[in-house]
Amino acid sequence: MRAKERVEHAKELLEEIEIGADRLEMYHIGASDAPLWAEKVKEMTDKIKSLGPNPLKLVRKSQGAIPEFGGR
Amino acid sequence: MIVARRKPFSEIMESLEGYDRVLILGCGTCVAVCLAGGEKEVGILSAQLSIAAELRGKALDIGEATVERQCDREFIEELRNRLNDYPVILSLACGVGIQFVSEMYPQKVVLPGVDTCFIGSNDDVGFWTERCRMCNQCYLAFTGGICPVTMCPKGLLNGPCSGMANGRCEVDPERTCAWVLIYERMKETGRVEQLRRVMAPSDYSRTTTPAVLSHKAYRRRYSAHE
Repeated sequence: MRAKERVEHAKELLEEIEIGADRLEMYHIGASDAPLWAEKVKEMTDKIKSLGPNPLKLVRKSQGAIPEFGGR
Repeated sequence: MIVARRKPFSEIMESLEGYDRVLILGCGTCVAVCLAGGEKEVGILSAQLSIAAELRGKALDIGEATVERQCDREFIEELRNRLNDYPVILSLACGVGIQFVSEMYPQKVVLPGVDTCFIGSNDDVGFWTERCRMCNQCYLAFTGGICPVTMCPKGLLNGPCSGMANGRCEVDPERTCAWVLIYERMKETGRVEQLRRVMAPSDYSRTTTPAVLSHKAYRRRYSAHE
């Protein structure tokens, strides 16, 4: 599947710059397969939480480029 | 066309160490077709460098430009004003383009962003195969349009070698022996008898580098270079 290959390439690009490939995933889910969709959303949510914030966001926050919690 | 692949990101980052302004310069011809150094790849590399630099707390001013061909003076010349802002040029052209840009702008640091691989064909989207070693002595008329210099790992002009087994190459058994392919093509076109001709050894003096070539119509103008 072409899209799958492109996502794999994008993951490599993210890994190269140390953002991490795990922050991007592609799941193949049928339009009517709501349980699988919910399962994958939970899986991705757990993964992102375990990975922690985007390192770039942390850098920007430390530089004051992003307002602390509560800001917009 | 010339086929290249982008250098590993870590190598590019290392080469940019100590610089805070760089122009990523793409080439719109061969390296654009092989998805290594065209306008799109310039954009991707620029985004990557920008994020990676920020993660490292490094200030890096990145410019982007792509010219039609970096191996042609007229296309590089149009960049002159743009280059004023950048002491470093990261060229995504083949080795020819990189050297030519460096020659035209000797006061600039010109760095390579790709590794130039070979001259090949665009077999399919994202897939290229080598076809020509630029030996300056084309044998294709006698070999059914299949180059023994390139397609045979040993470059044999009078093959196959004794290592061929069941039509397969001994260097890479996954591949059909180039000389088996040549035989089949010659047979198909009714020229198999021509394979009895023994080829003379290659004249390697023809591949002395750096090569120079001028067209007959311009010979007087460039005779001093030959």
